[in-house]
Amino acid sequence: MEGSAKVKVPGGKLVAVKVEYNSAIEKIKITGDFFMYPESALGELEKILVGVNVGESEENLAYTVYETLHRSRVTMIGVTPEAIASAIKRAVSK
Amino acid sequence: MRWRVIRLETRNAYSNMAIDNALIEGQKSGASQPTIRFYKWLPSAVSIGNFQGMNDEVDIDRCKELGISYVRRITGGGAVYHDNKGEITYSIIAPEALFPKGIIESYRIICGYVIAGLGSLGITASFAPINDILVNGKKISGNAQTRRGGAILQHGTVLYDTDVRTMFSVLKISSEKISDKMIKSAEERVTRVKDYSDVSQEGLYEALLKGFTSGKDYDFGNYTKEETKRAESLEKEIYSQDAWNFSR
Repeated sequence: MEGSAKVKVPGGKLVAVKVEYNSAIEKIKITGDFFMYPESALGELEKILVGVNVGESEENLAYTVYETLHRSRVTMIGVTPEAIASAIKRAVSK
Repeated sequence: MRWRVIRLETRNAYSNMAIDNALIEGQKSGASQPTIRFYKWLPSAVSIGNFQGMNDEVDIDRCKELGISYVRRITGGGAVYHDNKGEITYSIIAPEALFPKGIIESYRIICGYVIAGLGSLGITASFAPINDILVNGKKISGNAQTRRGGAILQHGTVLYDTDVRTMFSVLKISSEKISDKMIKSAEERVTRVKDYSDVSQEGLYEALLKGFTSGKDYDFGNYTKEETKRAESLEKEIYSQDAWNFSR
């Protein structure tokens, strides 16, 4: 299955997610006009998200995103782990 | 701290982005001087943020029809139309320590140089976090920053008399982004120096130059051989390649 969703972060930027999934995420692309550095962190995050069960709660997804980015000492501006998690959840719920 | 200023120059999209990339690398290694550069794009081009989807943001067929280039930036942020005749871009590349650690504060300081330049032309502009500069509530300048290895790169655009029709015929503006601003038409969100002043584009450049260099020790200069070589390599291997430009 395929799904996509966009979330506008209040006072921030737009984050969009395209997902291919069955019971777990098989392929995911996160895009948007936000800032994140080091920039390579987003590709790393996408890799980590592959295999994550689509039934995970939005809270758990947000924690996975937070933990991954925090580990790489990533600075995020205009986007939050919660916004990315919300976009993923919406994309797999359609 | 002595700055190097590169006078207004015109290059293609790939070269412009490759130079900014080479200069932040040079800053990291300590080989490059803190630098302020001003540049234009020939042919006109669309640059998209590092994390944007090229086909999501840009009407590629329309670009091809109009001879407009398209390139992915090293920095995040949104898509920008760089009208060869109607816009000036700046870059500032320096050790991170010269600016506040806080992202918004550093945007505020660097955008302040643009605001000072516009102010000297009698245009009252203000910083609108995260990364915009507004005149009468409309965007006149978009800016994007990244940091790596202890260096900061911020580049941004100042609209002079940009062809707004062409801008919005090559940029795909998402309805989510506009709905947040409660404005129906994207065209209503932007404004240009020419809408407020009779200054020539050369005059705008001089004003920006003053805004950026005020209170700084600087010399006009050029790129070193090493910087040029690295930029040429990045242009050829990265910025002119679909593998980079269509990577998202």
